[in-house]
Amino acid sequence: MRNAFVLAGKELRSFFNSWIGILVFLFFYLVAGVFFTILILSYAKISTETARQGLEAVEAMGLTRYAFGSLFLNLSLVLMLLVPVMTMRSLAEERKLQTLELLYTYPFSDFEIVWGKFLGLVWIFELLFLPTVVYAGLIKWLGGSIEWGPLLTAYLGFWLLGNAYLALGLFISSLTESQVISAIVTLTLLIVFWMLDWASIVTDGTLSQFFKTLSPLSHYREFSLGIIDLSNVVYFLFFNLYFLFMTLRSVETRNWKA
Amino acid sequence: MQIKEPDAPIVVKVENLVKKFGNYKALDDVSFELRQGEILGLLGPNGAGKTTAMRILTGFFPPNHGRVWIRGKDLFQNPREVKKSIGYLPETVHLYLDMRVKEFLSFVAAVKGVSHRRRNKEIDDKLSLCGLWNVRNRMIGKLSKGYRQRVGLAQAMIADPDVLILDEPTSGLDPKQIIEIRSLIRELGRQRTLILSTHILPEVSMVCDKVMIINKGRIVASGTTEELESGLSEKYEIYVVIGDPSKKEAALALLAALEGVEGQRIVEEKPEQVSVALRISKGRDPRAEISRLFVRHDIPLLEVRAAHLSLEDIFMKLVVDESSQRKF
Repeated sequence: MRNAFVLAGKELRSFFNSWIGILVFLFFYLVAGVFFTILILSYAKISTETARQGLEAVEAMGLTRYAFGSLFLNLSLVLMLLVPVMTMRSLAEERKLQTLELLYTYPFSDFEIVWGKFLGLVWIFELLFLPTVVYAGLIKWLGGSIEWGPLLTAYLGFWLLGNAYLALGLFISSLTESQVISAIVTLTLLIVFWMLDWASIVTDGTLSQFFKTLSPLSHYREFSLGIIDLSNVVYFLFFNLYFLFMTLRSVETRNWKA
Repeated sequence: MQIKEPDAPIVVKVENLVKKFGNYKALDDVSFELRQGEILGLLGPNGAGKTTAMRILTGFFPPNHGRVWIRGKDLFQNPREVKKSIGYLPETVHLYLDMRVKEFLSFVAAVKGVSHRRRNKEIDDKLSLCGLWNVRNRMIGKLSKGYRQRVGLAQAMIADPDVLILDEPTSGLDPKQIIEIRSLIRELGRQRTLILSTHILPEVSMVCDKVMIINKGRIVASGTTEELESGLSEKYEIYVVIGDPSKKEAALALLAALEGVEGQRIVEEKPEQVSVALRISKGRDPRAEISRLFVRHDIPLLEVRAAHLSLEDIFMKLVVDESSQRKF
């Protein structure tokens, strides 16, 4: 297991040695910054409007929940675009450059390779979104109050969603030598998963329930509302386990393919 | 060539390896043993199974049948432990292009379980041993092929593995680098056990103690270079160059009548000379007789020369002549 951490550390370094890594970060912060500013401004606008009308309804919703819930909901779309770029290199590039051959001959078990690769991606993802905590500080500085509960669930939900997307991307990356194919297929699948959420809205009855159960986004949405439901956590755990297991099988195929 | 102590411990033991890809047998019943300090050269045409054999030895994939022991430990029973004592340089060195040389070696050292305290010294040692000191902070992707080959060699040597497996270590290098890498390999072979594959036949006689020729997944010959050369040299050839083509017929008749000559063929015919190759049975040397005969019959003799088989000829004989499946 120790070697999985060594591999994850290598992934992290490689990512920041490349232009792709730097661009991913720049893009994420640019978009997150713009979203946050717009959300704060719109919240300010709504609250002054309602205050002028003598209502206090908005205050009940809370700035934290409004800002962070919406921020991460919007960022989940950005994540859909960034994850394919983050995962496309992971195993596809190793296959293409044939560095996987080296990894196989180092003292790694196949599980450690998959786990190390996944962990590396998760670390990069964490480095990417955890600094958004400064926004909470910003809200405080602007005179707003922080509600820790919704803040934590928003982060937890986003973290779980990101991990699920990364696990799927890692699996796709393990199937091909081409980073482009890996990125396009991952993006397509993420969009399909995203549309399941829509499908659950336009259909009704058991069909709607079925789409809702499959869709990562509908499970994620409750987190952004400040609700932790165990079934949502279990959903994401299964999502991750399934794709990590599939990745493991895909890495093992070398044993019978020439 | 160094003389190896016969009682040096056996480091690599391979038994009845079979590897199939679908119905295709890439390796068929390959067995051998190597002692500490021996350098084995693996020869064979493309697709013969060299790389498959090396990949099994490095734990890349398991064989369908057979076992590999490194220092008495089964490679596929405890791969994580045993892999630490194997260093591998793949056929074309594929490295992480987006890492710095030192960064990469540090990763390898960590994976191979070099402790934190020794890591820096270990890396610095290998950097200077492989002549990489000046490029240690460069991106691997920015290095020339020769330097990348050295990085490949350095990563194989990290943690001082007992067994080094080098797949075509000198391919793609310039002549100066080839000489450097060869002397490095000889140096390494003093204490370690080396297996290397190559296309360059003279390299084998220069560097290796033992040779194994693989064709179509089977071992067709193995032994020391001397053993191979003498084993196949039961029959050897003598080249005779006749200075006057008009006397060719007379000369050929004389040569055919000589004792020990089993056959003859004309190698080259030019207006001023004819070259003939004679196949001679073992233990015969009719060269003195030939010169005396030619003088007596007044045929100008320009050259008479015995040609022993080189490793190259042996290779061609074993691999190209499908029929000859000799055991040594």
